[in-house]
Amino acid sequence: MFEIERISDTEIKLAGHFDASQQETAAAVFETVNVAHTIYFDELDYISSAGLSILLYTQQRLSAVGDALKLRGMNPHVKLVFEYAGFDQIFDIA
Amino acid sequence: MEKSFDRRLESLGAVFAFLKEASTSFELDQALTFSVNMVVEELFTNMIKYGASGGREILIGVDKTASQLKIKLIDFDSEPFDLTDLDAVDTSAPLNKRRPGGLGIHLVRCFMDEVKYEYKDRTTHISLAKNL
Repeated sequence: MFEIERISDTEIKLAGHFDASQQETAAAVFETVNVAHTIYFDELDYISSAGLSILLYTQQRLSAVGDALKLRGMNPHVKLVFEYAGFDQIFDIA
Repeated sequence: MEKSFDRRLESLGAVFAFLKEASTSFELDQALTFSVNMVVEELFTNMIKYGASGGREILIGVDKTASQLKIKLIDFDSEPFDLTDLDAVDTSAPLNKRRPGGLGIHLVRCFMDEVKYEYKDRTTHISLAKNL
């Protein structure tokens, strides 16, 4: 199960299993991100390249207006995916 | 353990349920379970996207020996697509040069120690192994 919740004007929380079948659900929320946001991963168990793609597109769109995403609270397995993809160099991850 | 799945994105839930069953059966730890989910999802969705439009099923198998975790995916009606022959993804490129294409296969290579591709009689056979 995957959940995506907007918790404020600049914060989004992800939870559960973010696989390719959830891409449209997640994209619908991330398409509304037009300013700097913090994304909370604390309750996210799993992410694949489908999720990485949405975050990449969002980061590129924000970068064009001088803003960026902050990614917080990743578990070690999810963090490893970001590191393998080299996304730790293009995202603020802590 | 092996099982066949309809070639469509909606099968992913059943695929993950099968992988959970396999992970429990082989007593895989969290890291290995995560790796199995990741590589199977990436290859399965790749086969859906780039494979034939026919209704054939895709077979997924998981096995464990004393030294290796083995995974196979067999696509019975497919065009040749050698994923071991793809250019490496540039993981140090600046943000504006990044493209999502190829990331999934890149992750498969990172998470596994062996990736083999065979194509014969319209059948794609991908074998993966992770050293334990």
